[in-house]
Amino acid sequence: MNFSRIKNFFHHLFIPKEDNHFRSRLLHLDFLTYYLLLALFFTFLFKSTPLSNILGYATDITIQKLYELTNKERQNYNLPPLNYSEKLSKAAYQKALDMFNKNYWAHFGPNGETPWQFILNVGYEYEYAGENLAKNFLFSENVVSAWMNSKTHRENILKKEYTDIGFAVVNGTLNGEPTTLVVQMFGKPASINLAKNLVEKHQVFATEKKEIPLSKSSSSLAPAVLANKEQKPVVNVNKFLFDFNLGFIAILMLTLIVDFYFASKMGILKLRFTGKNLAHFIFLGFLAIGLFIISRGVIL
Amino acid sequence: MINHIKKELKKHTFDYLLLLTAGIFFILALNLFRGERLLEFIVLLAFVSFYIIWGVYHHIIHDHLHFKIVLEYVMIGFILLFLLKIIILP
Repeated sequence: MNFSRIKNFFHHLFIPKEDNHFRSRLLHLDFLTYYLLLALFFTFLFKSTPLSNILGYATDITIQKLYELTNKERQNYNLPPLNYSEKLSKAAYQKALDMFNKNYWAHFGPNGETPWQFILNVGYEYEYAGENLAKNFLFSENVVSAWMNSKTHRENILKKEYTDIGFAVVNGTLNGEPTTLVVQMFGKPASINLAKNLVEKHQVFATEKKEIPLSKSSSSLAPAVLANKEQKPVVNVNKFLFDFNLGFIAILMLTLIVDFYFASKMGILKLRFTGKNLAHFIFLGFLAIGLFIISRGVIL
Repeated sequence: MINHIKKELKKHTFDYLLLLTAGIFFILALNLFRGERLLEFIVLLAFVSFYIIWGVYHHIIHDHLHFKIVLEYVMIGFILLFLLKIIILP
């Protein structure tokens, strides 16, 4: 009895028949209105700054995960794992803050600031040092895989001379846009005697992509938020939104296929006053591909 | 079902080629402006707008336009616009 009711309910939702006016109920205008209201609700919910901070919005990239993934890549090439360095992480954080404060996205600052001065400023005397940057990624896995797919960034990650690593994942406003910056800094401490001779001798930064010029205007800067190694977001918001969007698109595409299949079988395709299922399907397919593209940011 | 799709594509070849071309440009533009959130949103907005106009145009020239159909294209376009906007411009 119950099974039959559930079956009828799903038939009503997906399969065009008389009681849903020969169109899957999930594609009716009233249901589309509910989806639109839900999308608007999410838009306002996640726009609310206090809630965003509580949930750790845009900080789904964690230092812990980046550290694990980087060392995993090194282990794949039989290289020793790097030690987590608080000093290098502090330098990475200072670098990220500098980029937000001076509104630039580059290895070198507008006033000639170098990555090495951030490392030296925190008292890390190095023999070797390197820097990788990433911007606006949604997930830690994508950041590391993008670095590994780039020759110069991969060389940095797999450089056998490095012994230490530090990270900063900082949220702020860059060029007027909400931005998540990831700074990865590598180093090998110099012995006291070597330090003075070798500083600025072995400095490596990945420069596969040209620097993107940003406006020099000093727009009002939102306070940058650091995602510490220990800090874990209460809710994985980006992951939830990504999965929700993907799931929603998948259900809508499935409904369009089912509706089209049964309507064509019943020969009622031309009798209905509806949009074209095939066109909707193509549109949704492109947006699904687009969703994967926007989840990947840019590296430098 | 496959036959119906083939018939539909054959009957409206130009319309679907136009839609596919716009979709490919959408993907290329998104890839080009990856990491630039405002530009990504503009590209998304342009594609959604194009889709709504395409839907209206497609039904007008085939004399099959109805207010409910326009609303359907507008709704589907805006639902996806808002959902993706949350990720692009939080």
